Amino acid sequence: MYSYKTGIEQIDKLSGGFEAGANILILAPPMSYADQLAYALTKPAVGEYAITLSTNERAAEVVDFFKVAGSDKRFIGVIDAITKSSTPSIVDTPRLMFVSSPTDLTGIGIKFSNMIETIFEGDFSDGEAGLFPPPIRFCVNSISTLLMYRKLEVLYQFLHVLTAKIKKIDGVGIYILNSESFDDKTLSLIKQLMNCVIEIKIEQNISYLRIMGIRGINPDWQKFSVNKGQVTILL
Amino acid sequence: MIPTGINGLDDMLGDGIPEGSKMVYSMEAGVNGQLFMLSTLASALAKKLSCLVILPYTTVDSFRRDAMATRSGSIDLCSKNLTYIDAIDRERIQKSTRSADTAQKEWRAKVAKICRDKQVDVIFVYIDLLCEDFGIEQALDIFEEENDEPKRTLIVEYLNLEGETQLDRFIHDFAFDVVISIKSSFPPMASFDYFTLVHTSWSPLPARSVPFIITEGRIAPYIPRIVVTGPAKAGKSTFITTASHDGLSVDRFGLDNDSTTVAMDFGLLDWKGFYITLYGTPGQPRFDLMIPGMFKHAMGVILIVDATKPESLPRAKQMIGLITERNMPMIIAANKKDLPSRLSEAEIRTALEIRKDIRVVFLSAKKKAEVKRMLRSFVDFITQFPY
Repeated sequence: MYSYKTGIEQIDKLSGGFEAGANILILAPPMSYADQLAYALTKPAVGEYAITLSTNERAAEVVDFFKVAGSDKRFIGVIDAITKSSTPSIVDTPRLMFVSSPTDLTGIGIKFSNMIETIFEGDFSDGEAGLFPPPIRFCVNSISTLLMYRKLEVLYQFLHVLTAKIKKIDGVGIYILNSESFDDKTLSLIKQLMNCVIEIKIEQNISYLRIMGIRGINPDWQKFSVNKGQVTILL
Repeated sequence: MIPTGINGLDDMLGDGIPEGSKMVYSMEAGVNGQLFMLSTLASALAKKLSCLVILPYTTVDSFRRDAMATRSGSIDLCSKNLTYIDAIDRERIQKSTRSADTAQKEWRAKVAKICRDKQVDVIFVYIDLLCEDFGIEQALDIFEEENDEPKRTLIVEYLNLEGETQLDRFIHDFAFDVVISIKSSFPPMASFDYFTLVHTSWSPLPARSVPFIITEGRIAPYIPRIVVTGPAKAGKSTFITTASHDGLSVDRFGLDNDSTTVAMDFGLLDWKGFYITLYGTPGQPRFDLMIPGMFKHAMGVILIVDATKPESLPRAKQMIGLITERNMPMIIAANKKDLPSRLSEAEIRTALEIRKDIRVVFLSAKKKAEVKRMLRSFVDFITQFPY
């Protein structure tokens, strides 16, 4: 079975990376650079594809991150739920699709399916071939924003569908959730949809993470940093 | 009647939905089904009906641009017969009311006023967010007429995350007249969407599904496989060639310089809004092993017999045995009707020992009009067949 390299040496050596079909929750307080970690884990390896559902940043900003991290933009797709509200005239391309707002779960679902189909049909990367069946990394940046617009029960059902689709295509899903803005019930319900949880904390300006749910990986807190799409565990 | 604007679906409904009825398009997450509402809206506008469109999830401007892109510009969304309530109105109501109860009343009053002022005939509702604001019962209550008001048609698009139980609620709890479920397969399986007519209040039809594809901004029902079979030299290749826009036949010429199909025929039709793929089988018994595999994903079978050759009918009867093992629509095409000494329908029925409900149609496989007429009637049969 395909494994998605995390780019974190210690994890890739011990476990080979994320298993195909895994859904990973990044649980982080605000201002903890969780988005940087999520993008770093979403950054596609050669032959892979990445799709980001952006509820916080414009598509151009998301693409910029991946370009700076050295990714080939022909393998990067963004479903942007921000830009259309201010620029209704913006039009979809195979790699950049727009929905009217984060409330529009119907639109998000359709664009997600369309983008996956485009990848499977080989029409995504301007003729540049990736691996087949295509390994796809999917990031939601973040669930917290979706929860501001939609009720937990509805969003849970919607994420249930999305995570099931990620499993079906042997992709990997990475979802950010603010750990301080929601009650235990919310956190626990969202965790039910995931195979693995990465928690982040900041103490005295130092970032720590701990990874739970990957066999062979130490679940203790470890210092880390992210620079240009590269995550480093600091020993 | 108000047509849905979707070929095949209107045929199944009997030209559309009765005015004053309630219809829901229930969409699974991720299925590309937005054209269903838009097609029906376009049909209502084409009939000069006054329409109210409720879009709590977006603005009118965004909706118009998206719809024009989706429908290839073939819908007048600035029509004077069209009124909107959009996300800005939703926000205004949310800010001006203190509770969900008063907000729901505000919605109800707003909808009623527009309906009176504009003499609205049809309300189109993207109901998702209203269900979240008020619960589904109260959301639907917004559109209930007062006793003295004329009955309006209500058409709802619903993002169905709950599955079959929610469809049952639309039928039994909310008394919807038409329930249509739109679903999708998803990669890595071959990707296609399909709609199912789950319920109509005026006819106890069994639920039936039709795959569809979206082409040039319209929904085209798609019959992915009709198998054309029959004894050798009955006219299968001719039939497929006559029926198709594009086709391919893998033939071999014999000593008598007659060709016979040794692999299979393949034909594509884009006709009357339907996309149809025809697969022809070879007629020789040595190929029978491959026939059950071709039936596996077929939506119907056309059995072609040569109406001038009674000696070929025992072989045709043998092939019917292969078909009737599966419950699928079948029609008998009796070819070469223009030649003398052809058999009668009764003689063919007796020789083939077929049930009364299996139709026998006489045609000449060389004549396009006759082939198309037969296909039209067979497609109707397929879309109404209780699988």
